[in-house]
Amino acid sequence: MRKRSDKTLGESLRDHGLSRRGFLKLCAATASLMALPPSMAPAIAAALEQARRPSVIWLSFQECTGCTESLTRAHAPTLEDLIFDFISLDYHHTLQAASGEAAEEARLQAMEENKGRYLVIVDGSIPGPDANPGFSTVAGHSNYSILMETVEHAAAVIAVGTCAAFGGLPQARPNPTGAMSVMDLVRDKPVINVPGCPPIPMVITGVVAHYLVFGRLPELDGYGRPLAFYGQSIHDRCYRRPFYDKGLFAESFDDEGAKLGWCLYRLGCKGPTTYNACATMKWNDGASWPVEAGHPCLGCSEPKFWDAGGFYEPVSVPLTLGPGTLLGAGVVGAVAGGGLATLARKQRKEEAGTRQPVTVDELEQKL
Amino acid sequence: MSELTLERGLAAFRAEIDAPTAAFFSSCVHCGLCAQSCPFYLETGDPKYTPILKLEPLRRVWENEFTLWGRIKGRLGLQKPVTDEMLAEWEELLYDSCSMCGRCSMVCPVGNDLAYMIRKTREGMVQSGHAPEGLIAAASRAIKTGSPMGLQWKTLAVQIQHVESSSGLTVPVDQEGAEYLVLLSSMEIINFPEYLEAITKIFDHAGVTWTLSTQCFEATNAGIQIGNKDIAAELVERVVAAAETLRVSKVISPECGHAYTAIRWEGPNLIGRPYPFRVFHIIEVLDELRAAGRIKTEGKEDDRLSMHDPCNLARKSGVIQQQRNLMALVAENFVDLKEHGKYQWCCGAGGGVSSNERAEELKMAAFKRKKAQIEEVAPERMVTMCATCRTQLEEGLEAFNMEIPVVGLTEMIAEHLVERD
Repeated sequence: MRKRSDKTLGESLRDHGLSRRGFLKLCAATASLMALPPSMAPAIAAALEQARRPSVIWLSFQECTGCTESLTRAHAPTLEDLIFDFISLDYHHTLQAASGEAAEEARLQAMEENKGRYLVIVDGSIPGPDANPGFSTVAGHSNYSILMETVEHAAAVIAVGTCAAFGGLPQARPNPTGAMSVMDLVRDKPVINVPGCPPIPMVITGVVAHYLVFGRLPELDGYGRPLAFYGQSIHDRCYRRPFYDKGLFAESFDDEGAKLGWCLYRLGCKGPTTYNACATMKWNDGASWPVEAGHPCLGCSEPKFWDAGGFYEPVSVPLTLGPGTLLGAGVVGAVAGGGLATLARKQRKEEAGTRQPVTVDELEQKL
Repeated sequence: MSELTLERGLAAFRAEIDAPTAAFFSSCVHCGLCAQSCPFYLETGDPKYTPILKLEPLRRVWENEFTLWGRIKGRLGLQKPVTDEMLAEWEELLYDSCSMCGRCSMVCPVGNDLAYMIRKTREGMVQSGHAPEGLIAAASRAIKTGSPMGLQWKTLAVQIQHVESSSGLTVPVDQEGAEYLVLLSSMEIINFPEYLEAITKIFDHAGVTWTLSTQCFEATNAGIQIGNKDIAAELVERVVAAAETLRVSKVISPECGHAYTAIRWEGPNLIGRPYPFRVFHIIEVLDELRAAGRIKTEGKEDDRLSMHDPCNLARKSGVIQQQRNLMALVAENFVDLKEHGKYQWCCGAGGGVSSNERAEELKMAAFKRKKAQIEEVAPERMVTMCATCRTQLEEGLEAFNMEIPVVGLTEMIAEHLVERD
């Protein structure tokens, strides 16, 4: 499904029958999607009108195709479809029509024609350079060698999904395939992480739109995630937050609290430690999202979320120490603290003993 | 004869470091809010007047000798020691630029009681010989003559005669078994003798039995101001002895801020035993009498009046509503300063600043905050209930050419008593 990439976006969209009005509506939606002020919409329109559709190569490694599934769950008004007309998707295992050698040829040709300008999107983790290269191969080549070959002349790499961004499920202990994330392997190119299992489709398209409009990557947090989407925790934006603040918690999935929609913190909700846009953008055309459906947040957009303790254990409860250990530690602490306090009190008493009373005669010597 | 030395000062610092002090120093978050609450810093803009910095000598002793990290630094020779030069430099910070008004303690977000630690740090300053001359002289006069101003009973006896002849009443002296022992401050005896006349009239009107004591008439405590508990304790003992001799059940502290906190709060801790009597500020007594219907007044002041709450009374002791109840009795046009009660601003003269001639300029600088507060409300007269505050307000307002007289609340009440038939 290669497309000619010499048309501007404006031309391409008009070819698809998009009206000027529809185009501006799209730009306004894109602005709000990227947390930009509405006044930016005309600037976005101007930029998109003139933008050349960049070539995009999508590489799938150790993954479940859930990220692609998420992306293709394009909901009305098919915003994602439109944005996919913005780019020239030159290689994608699941979506491309070509197969076999023709498919690989398409990838190599796109790389050659767009050297230094194409985007690479990766989903899935990669068996590292020290792992057996046979753990995951495409067309007889190891994932590692395909990734390194493809990113060499890329403009930037977008790691879609938690597996590509942080290693995800393949990297969970004991990590039998030596799985690594894109940012572990690609050091000399800008890497944007769009984690989530899967990520919200609009977040994927939003990042691509940002790149098209501004010609540069969006502002990122410490984990390389776009701040516009990952800047706030689920907990801070959760509609159940007032129950947390009042101390009203569901204690099991079928108790009165659960029925009344109380906070799911004690059922293991990882919302307080998870940064993602689910609570505001929701899923399936804004229909719902996990917490609204009555299930705690799993924390899927955070590093090592598979190994961060049980999904149903509350975040602040220690996961390894038993009550006996805790009690023991408390007793040791109390004894040590008490001992130190006694020593300090003794020292203080001695110090107080060395203080001499002051007399008026002594004072007057200073006059 | 023994001398005051750095070593004695350091020993005193060590003796003052207690659990609250250690907790305060370790919990300071360096937010600087104490600076924003200090009239001396705000009106000079000099960062050295930041309250927490004034405590640096005590903090350094704490860090060097009472913390693990400080001791490790000591082993490595990295400690900053407390020296005589340092203490000489800090003398101005601890005495001239601090009235112990406690506003910093009030606003500290982690609850550090800075005024409490200033009081403690002054202990070490006295022992190391770094107290200001004015305060040393006052402390020595207080111990030797019974009054920080060198006043003796015979001076008071003359004032008593004046009061008796002008009021036609008797001022009771050494009356055993009276309900109240009345203490005075030297400042009142000299500058505001109308106070003594006012309480004589009010107590006669209300039928209260009271007495002065020839054994001890002075309420002020120069030991608290200079920061020495030996002298402070001796001065408290004199009051206790006089009260015990006359077997009174209540002692009244006069219109003086620090005298009240000294005898009311610090006193029993200083002498290490509870009092056989209770202590009140005159304003508390007057408000109790008012509530019991024993004070009958007539007529009201009709000019615009505002009030200065003494720090020791309002912020440190919680006496805030009483003076307003009394004002309501005799004033119809009373308006509070914007920040009053526990959030009031210091006049700038307390905590020994007014006894320290060297601090004159800083004292007047700090007053500018009060002046701005007064200007905001524009009263015709100011009312207060502390002789030191009153003197500072009078001097300050005059220095800025503001014609606003200052009156004591007790006198104002006395002027409106219903005459007996």
